[in-house]
Amino acid sequence: MFKSKIFMVLLMFVLLVSVAGCTKDESSSGKASKSGDSKEPVTFSYYNAASPGKDMNTNETVIGKELEKQTGVNFKVEYAVGDINTKIGTMIASGKYPDLLVPDAALPKVLDAGAFIELNDLIDKHAPNIKKLYGPYLNRMKDKDGKIFFIPMEASQGFIANPNIDQGAFWVQRAVLKEAGYPKIKTLDEYFKLIEDYQKKHPEVEGKSTIGFTALTYDWRFFALSNTPNHLAGYPNDGGVQVDMKTHEAKVYGNNDDTKRYLKELNELNSKGLFDKEAFVGNYDEYLAKLTSGRVLGFFDYGWQIGQAEDNLKNAGVDDKRYMALPITFDENTKDQYLDPPSFVSNRGVGITVSAKDPVRIIKYLDNMVKEENQKLILWGIKGETYEVNDEGRFHRTEEQIAKTSDEKFREDFGSKIYEWGWPRGNGLYADGNAWEPRRQAEVAQMSYTDGDKKLLEAYGVQVFSDLFAKPEDRPWYPAWSVQLEEGSKEQIFSQRQTDLQKKYYPKLVLAKPSEFESIWTEYKKEYNALDVKVYEETMTKEIKKLIDLAK
Amino acid sequence: MQMESRVTEEGIDTSILVQPKKSKEIFIKKMMTQKALIAMSFPFLIWLFIFKYIPLWGWSIAFQDFKPAKSLLDQEWIGLEHFKFLFTDPNFYRVLRNTLGMSTINLVLGFVTAIGLALLLNEIRHAKFKKLVQTISYMPHFISWVVAASIISYSLSLDNGIVNIVLLKLGIVDEPILWLGKETWFWGINGVSDIWKNVGWNTIIYLAAITMIDPEQYEAADIDGATRLQRIRYITLPSLKPTIIILMIMNLGYILESGFEAQYLLGNPLNLAYSENLDIYVLKYGISLGNFSLATAAGIFKTVVSFIFLFTANHIAKRFDQPRLF
Repeated sequence: MFKSKIFMVLLMFVLLVSVAGCTKDESSSGKASKSGDSKEPVTFSYYNAASPGKDMNTNETVIGKELEKQTGVNFKVEYAVGDINTKIGTMIASGKYPDLLVPDAALPKVLDAGAFIELNDLIDKHAPNIKKLYGPYLNRMKDKDGKIFFIPMEASQGFIANPNIDQGAFWVQRAVLKEAGYPKIKTLDEYFKLIEDYQKKHPEVEGKSTIGFTALTYDWRFFALSNTPNHLAGYPNDGGVQVDMKTHEAKVYGNNDDTKRYLKELNELNSKGLFDKEAFVGNYDEYLAKLTSGRVLGFFDYGWQIGQAEDNLKNAGVDDKRYMALPITFDENTKDQYLDPPSFVSNRGVGITVSAKDPVRIIKYLDNMVKEENQKLILWGIKGETYEVNDEGRFHRTEEQIAKTSDEKFREDFGSKIYEWGWPRGNGLYADGNAWEPRRQAEVAQMSYTDGDKKLLEAYGVQVFSDLFAKPEDRPWYPAWSVQLEEGSKEQIFSQRQTDLQKKYYPKLVLAKPSEFESIWTEYKKEYNALDVKVYEETMTKEIKKLIDLAK
Repeated sequence: MQMESRVTEEGIDTSILVQPKKSKEIFIKKMMTQKALIAMSFPFLIWLFIFKYIPLWGWSIAFQDFKPAKSLLDQEWIGLEHFKFLFTDPNFYRVLRNTLGMSTINLVLGFVTAIGLALLLNEIRHAKFKKLVQTISYMPHFISWVVAASIISYSLSLDNGIVNIVLLKLGIVDEPILWLGKETWFWGINGVSDIWKNVGWNTIIYLAAITMIDPEQYEAADIDGATRLQRIRYITLPSLKPTIIILMIMNLGYILESGFEAQYLLGNPLNLAYSENLDIYVLKYGISLGNFSLATAAGIFKTVVSFIFLFTANHIAKRFDQPRLF
C-alpha cells in the first residue's frame, strides 16, 4: 500500500519533469514556404523593445489590413515590458527569437549573440525600394566585414527642420517673456538676467516659492545636464564629445572651460537663490510635476523629455505657464547648433532573426512598406480622412483631422502607433516636396497652434518656432553618440566612469559656496584626467573619420 | 517563513542525531524505518542539485572574456583579469563600504526593532487592538519598493514633505532640510525606511516562537510575584534566544546583500557617494555594459564573503555552546 503511494509520487514527479522538458515552443510561426512571391496569408512575430505599447496583430489595424492585402503578411506585435536588457538577454539565452526584432539599445548584445541573419543578398535580390531609400547610407549600414545585419530606423531624404522644438533648448516660461515685452534673448547672461528680474517681482506662485532655474538629473537622463555646456558653446548633441569642424578631432568637454563656465554660472545662480535646491534629488516624475505646476521659470532640456508637461499645460489652457524654446549660447557671436543636422543613427534598427523561417517574405514586406505611397499611408493616413491636399499638391490637415489623429485610441486602431516607429522608414521630404511626417509640415504645425502660440510667433516675427534657431551645419558623422563602443571595452568603461564622476561632482560644484568652487573644480579635473580620456578620444576620432569617409 | 520553520526543525533533528549510540546497524535500521521520508526528500535533492549546483559551472565565465554568441569552448580565458579590475577600482571599495555599512545598520536595527515590537505585541491583552497594530505594521511589507520609495522621497521633500512640515511647526528647525541631499545621512534614512517597511513582517517569527513557550512558566512566575518586565527579562527573552541566534547567523550570511531597490530608487547624484552599493555597481559596470564576466566575478566575491561570515558566526556560536545552524 505504502510502496505504491511512493511509486505514484515518484511517477508523478518524473512525468512532470518530462512534460516540462518536452514542451516545445510552438509559437515560432511562418510556414516554411520558400516561395517569396506567394500572397498566401501568413503570420510572423515581431518584437519592439524601443517603446511600450499594446500587443496586437497588425491586421487588426487599418494600415496593417491594407499592407496584408498587398503582401498576405500579418505580424503578431509584442512590445517591451520592463527592462529590455533582461528580455533580450532571455531571448539570447534561450536562442528563441521573434521573426523580426527591434532590440533598441540592446542591439550590440543581439549582434554579439549572432541572432540576426545577414541581409546583403536579401536586400540585393528582393528589396529594390529599401535599396533606393537607404541608398546613401548603405555603406554606413555595413559592419567591418561589409555585412549588413539590420536596417537602421530611418533614412533622411533631404533636410526639413521640425517646426516645433523636440530637441535641446533653453526653455523659458511664456509669462516671463510677456512681462519683459518679448525681448530677443541670445546669451546665457541675458537669459539668467531675465529670470532673475521676473523672480524678484514674483517670488511666489500660488503660495509656493518660484523656482528660477531647474535641471533634470535623474538616472540616465542626467545627460540633460552634462550635455548643456556643449550646446552653449555652439555644438549639437554629439554625446560626450565636441568635434572640430576642420580637423574632425573629437575632444571630450567634461573637463574643459565650457563645462566649467556653465557650472560656475549655475553656482552663482544658486548663491542668488535662483537654482532649484531639489534639482539633484527629484526623480523624473517629480521634475515633470514641477514643470506642470508653473513654479519653474526656466530650464534646459530636450523637447522630447518634457512632452507630457507641455501637453498637460496646453490642454489645461494655461498659456502663460507654458514654455518657449530659445537657442541660448555663451556669447553673442557663437552660432547656435541646437537643431539636429540630417542624421543617420546607425546603432538602432530592425533585423530578421535566425528564428525566422521565411526571411524572403519578411524582407519583401519591409520593402513594400517603404514605397512612397505606403509611407504616406503610414504617416499621413488616408486622403480625405486624415489629411487633405490643396491645389498646389501641398498636404495639410484640418483642425478636426489634427484632433482625430492625435487621439491615442484612433492612433492605435488606425495602426499609426505600430507603424510610425520600429520599421524601416524615411524622413525629410517626399519627391513631391511634402514633409515625410505630418508634424514637420509647416501647414500642419501652424494649424495646431493655439492663440498663445500665434501671439508669440508674431511677437518674434517668425512662422514656426524652429525659425528662431540657426540652420544646422553639415556634419556627416552626426550624431557621434551613435558610435557603437565595444561592450565592456576601455572606451565604454570610460563613459560609465565619466558619468559617475560627473554625477558625484556636478551637484557639489553647483551647490558649493562660490568661494569653494575653484578648489572643487581642481579636484574634479584631477580625477577626471586620471580616467582613460586619451583612449576614448582616439577611438571617437577614428570612428568619426570613418563615418566621414563613408559619407563621401 | 518557510526557511525559518525549517531551521527550527533542523534544530530538533540535530539534537536527535547527537545521541551517543552510533553503530552502523542502528543507522541502517533507522534508514529502513524512514525510507518513505527519504524517498520523499529525493525530488528536492534532485532539484537542489539541478538548480543550485549545476549552475555553479557558470562561475567559469568569471575567468573568461565571455561573449554570449560563442560556445563555451571558444571563449577566451583571461584568468583573474576581472577580479583585478574589481580590486583596483577605488569605486569598488566605496560601494563595498556602503554595502557593509547599510546592511550592518539594517541588521542591527532590524533585530532590535523586530524583537522589541514582538515583545510589546505579546504583552497586549486587548485582542482587537493587537490585530490592528499587527495589520498596520505588516502593511508596508506588501507594497513594492517603487511605491515605497515615492512615498519616502515625497515625505522628505522640501516643500510638501510631512517630515519638514512637522519639524518646522514644532520649531525644531528654522528652514526645511533637504533630507535626501545629505550624503552621510543616507544610511540612516535607508535603515529607517527598511524598518518601516519590514518591522511588522519580521515580528512574525518571534511571535510564533513566543507562542511555543510553555504557559506554565508564566503561571509559576506569576505565583512567585514576577512583574511584567521580569517575565520578559527572565522567561520570554531566554526562550527566544535560540531563534535569535540562528536568525542572526543566517542573516550574517547575507551581509553583502544590503538590498537593491531602496538604494537604486532613493539614490540621486547628491547622495551617490553613500547610496551606491555592490548590486548597483554590478548593474552599472557588469550587466549594463554587457560585461557578464565582471558581474559573475562580483557574484563569486559575494558568495565567498558570505561563506566566511556564515562559518565564522556559526563557529563562534559553537565555541560559546549556543544553538547553531550546523
